[in-house]
Amino acid sequence: MLMKSRALLFISLSLVCFLMWSSIGWAQAPREEIEITAQHLATLLNVGRLIIERNQTLINDSRIGNKGFTPEVFEHEVVDEFIGQTQIDLKHLPSHLPSLATELLPVLLQSSKEVVADAQFVINQRGIGYKNFIPATFGSQAARKFSNRSHVKIKQTTLNPRNLKNTPDAYEENVLKRLATQPALNTSIIEWINNDTTLRALTPIYYSQDCLACHGNPRGILDISGYPREGAQEGDLAGAISIQIPMKSR
Amino acid sequence: MAFYNRNSILNSMIVGRPIINLRSITRGLRHLLKEYASQGIVPFLIGFGFFLQGCGLVFDAVEMVHPLAPHELSAICSRGQVRVGISVEPFRPFVFPAVYTDEGVRVTGLDVELIREVAEALTTYCGGQKPVVPTLHLTRFRDLFIEMNEGHLDLFVSSVGGNVPGARPVGLWYSIPYFHNDGVGAMIQNPEVAERVRAQFQHQAGHADTLAAIQAGLSGLTVAAQKGRTSHLYAEANLKNIRLLICDSLPAAVETKDPRIDVILSTHSILDYVTKHVWPDWHLLTRNDGTPLILTQEYFSIVTVEEHGRLQWFLNNLLYRLEESGRLEQMRRRWVEEDYAPTRRAATEGLPFEVSKVPDHYDQGQCRFATGR
Repeated sequence: MLMKSRALLFISLSLVCFLMWSSIGWAQAPREEIEITAQHLATLLNVGRLIIERNQTLINDSRIGNKGFTPEVFEHEVVDEFIGQTQIDLKHLPSHLPSLATELLPVLLQSSKEVVADAQFVINQRGIGYKNFIPATFGSQAARKFSNRSHVKIKQTTLNPRNLKNTPDAYEENVLKRLATQPALNTSIIEWINNDTTLRALTPIYYSQDCLACHGNPRGILDISGYPREGAQEGDLAGAISIQIPMKSR
Repeated sequence: MAFYNRNSILNSMIVGRPIINLRSITRGLRHLLKEYASQGIVPFLIGFGFFLQGCGLVFDAVEMVHPLAPHELSAICSRGQVRVGISVEPFRPFVFPAVYTDEGVRVTGLDVELIREVAEALTTYCGGQKPVVPTLHLTRFRDLFIEMNEGHLDLFVSSVGGNVPGARPVGLWYSIPYFHNDGVGAMIQNPEVAERVRAQFQHQAGHADTLAAIQAGLSGLTVAAQKGRTSHLYAEANLKNIRLLICDSLPAAVETKDPRIDVILSTHSILDYVTKHVWPDWHLLTRNDGTPLILTQEYFSIVTVEEHGRLQWFLNNLLYRLEESGRLEQMRRRWVEEDYAPTRRAATEGLPFEVSKVPDHYDQGQCRFATGR
C-alpha cells in the first residue's frame, strides 16, 4: 500500500516537473525564434543597402539611360549576398528556420524589390548624375514598406539624423550612445523590454570609406545632397537598424 | 467669328497635331449658338436637335445655357485632386529632375512650390474639410499641350511663356504672370563666339538696333533651341541666317557633340542657373557691358483650357493675391537667388508624382537640324 502511494507520488511529481519543463520550453521557443528573426531581418536590410552601395556608380552614371538595375537584378544580388553572409537561401528557405523568419524574410525581400521598382524612373534618367537613390534612402523606404505590412517595426536611426523621421526614441538613443563609445560590434544588441513583452534589437552600422564622401570631412560643408557633412571617419558609428517585435502578436 | 485660328499652323508645330481642329469648330458653333440665344433660335435648335441622331453639339449648347455637369472647380473639390501637368525635362530652377528621397520619388522647384500654393488655395475653396491633393503628371513638354487639350489635366505649370507670339495653341488659356521679367538668353562654350557677337554690338553702337546686332552676331552659327519653347519660336521667327538645331531638351543640346553647337538659346533664368550649378563649362552670353544678353522678354503663366472660366478666375485671383502679398517675389528669391541644394528641398517640400504617367525611361532625346527654313 505504502509502495503504491509512493509510486503514485513519484509519478505525479514527475508529471508536474515534465509539465513545468515543457511549459518553460514553450515559452522560450518563441523568444529565441523572435531573436533569430530580428537578426535575419537586420541582415537582410543591410544586404539590400550593400547592394545599392555596390551599384552606386552605375545608378549615378549620367551617360546611360536604361541601367538594367531592375528589381529582379537587385533581388538576385541580394539573394547571393544573403547566402554568403548567412548560408540561407531566400529562394528556398530551410526548414530549420524559425517560422516567424520564414514568414517575414520574404515580406522584407518583396518590400525591398518594390523600392527598387518605384525608383526605376529616377535610376534610368539619362543626363542626370546624382539621384539620391543611396543606401540610406533605400533603407528608409524598404523599412517603411515592410513595417506597414507586418506587426514588426524596422527603422534606420542615428543620433544626428538628417531625416527627422529617423530620430531615435529614448531606448534607441540610450543604446546608440552606448554603442558610440564602444569598439565596433559585429552583432546586434538584443533586449526584452516592457516585462519581456517586446523585443528591441539594434544592429549597428559603421561608416565605410564610400560613406565618407557625404558624411566625412570637411565637417559642416554641404555634401552633394545639400546636408552638412558630419566629419565622420571610417569605422565610426553611423547609426543602427532598429527592430521592434511584440511578443503578443504571435 | 472664325472657325479656325491663324495660329493653328504654329500650334501644330508645337503640339504636333493636325491643323484642322475639331475642338475649334465645336467652339465656333457654340459661340454662334450663344450669340443667337437671345433671339429664341436656341429653343428652336434644341427642338430640331432632338430629331437628329447623335448630334452632340446641340447637347453641348444646352449644357452651356443650363450646365448639367458640375463646373471644373466643383469637380476638383469632389475628386479631392487637382491634376497638374509638369514637364519631365528639367527646367532648373523651375522644375528639377526627379530624385529619390526618404519619402520616395519627389520633384521640386519653383513651379512645384507654386503648385502647392494652388492646391492649398483649392483646399480652402473646397471648404477645407479634406485637402485637395495635387496629382502631378510628369510629361514631355511637347505633350503637355496635348494632355491638356484631351482633358487629362486641370492645368499645367512648366515655365511656359505667356506673352510669346505663336506659342498659344487653340483652346488653351494662359494666366496672368507668376514670374516676370524673364526672357530668352544664350549660353556659349567658346569665348570666340562671344567676341564675335560683342563685335557686332560694338559695330551697331549708336543705332541701338538690338535685333539687327543679334542677327548679325549669330549669323552663320549653329544655334540650338528646345522644340516648342520660346527660344525655338524666337529663332524660327527672327534668326534666318543661323543653322538652327532643334533639340528635345536642354541637356540634349549640351550633350550634342556633332554638329558642334556654338550657341544654346533658352530661358535666361534657366541658363543662369545651369551655367552656375550644372554645366560650368558653359557661360552666359553677355553684352559689352557684361550684362546678360536677353533676346526677348517673356513672363510665365499657368495654362488651362479656354472652357474653364471659373478655374481661370480662380488662378488669376490667386496669382494676384500672391503677387500683392509678396509671396511670388519670395518664391523667386528662394529659387533664383538663394544658394540651396535641390535634393534637400525635394526631401522636405517636394511633391510625389504618378510614376505610371511618366515615360518608361526618360531620355533627354536628341537634336536635329530644323527643316524648311
